[in-house]
Amino acid sequence: MSRIRATINSIRAHLHHDEIAREVETELRFHIEMRTRANIEGGMTPDVAQRAAVQSFGDFDNVKTECCEIRRSFPFNTSLLRMGLHIAIAALAGAAALWTVNTPHHSLPSLLSQLGFVAVLTCLFVIARRNQKPHVNN
Amino acid sequence: MAKSKAGLLQGTLDMLILKALSLGALHGYGIGQRIAQISGDALKIEEGSLYPGLYRLEQRGWVQSEWDVSDNNQRAKFYKLTRAGRKQLILEERNWERLAGATMKALRAS
Repeated sequence: MSRIRATINSIRAHLHHDEIAREVETELRFHIEMRTRANIEGGMTPDVAQRAAVQSFGDFDNVKTECCEIRRSFPFNTSLLRMGLHIAIAALAGAAALWTVNTPHHSLPSLLSQLGFVAVLTCLFVIARRNQKPHVNN
Repeated sequence: MAKSKAGLLQGTLDMLILKALSLGALHGYGIGQRIAQISGDALKIEEGSLYPGLYRLEQRGWVQSEWDVSDNNQRAKFYKLTRAGRKQLILEERNWERLAGATMKALRAS
């Protein structure tokens, strides 16, 4: 159940990138604010407390970027899913090619529709190739 | 006497986050505070490194989060342990005890 929730979170992170970045930033800024308050209670001046809080937090932008990337990642290996998608596209392309070959080319509309098919197949091929990232083994 | 503070490996930090959350739901800052408290302030954690750790644990389904209001009436993200996370903590504790025992045995060998 938790994995399903994590998958939904990943999909949400892909769809609402800016919202997720704002959420992460709000969370991290809350941390720095809490640390600043604790520093002030410990006797520091507000300026020194703020600087100390930022310093003890570490590289804010780096942490924010890393958190956003983790939110976008799926809680399972996506290489099988990607392979399945490529097979589906290839099967679709094959079926469309067969259909094109077996259809008469008598009229202008049928010729245009076949040209349209070729364009769609080319786009699908280009998109599939562009999304194909090298797999890194951890 | 000054305490020496030990740095943490990623797996150890994950285990400590799970342990801190086993005592109840907390926001990120609270988790850092609780880890400091239960370790007797002996473990040095760069505070920002808690968050990638927390996000990874959430991706694995070991913790889950929700936005709520903190004690000082601010919007904060609270984390709690899931059932899978509780099981994982037990597993990690057993592994850690075994590893620590084996390391001590090796160090004491003459």
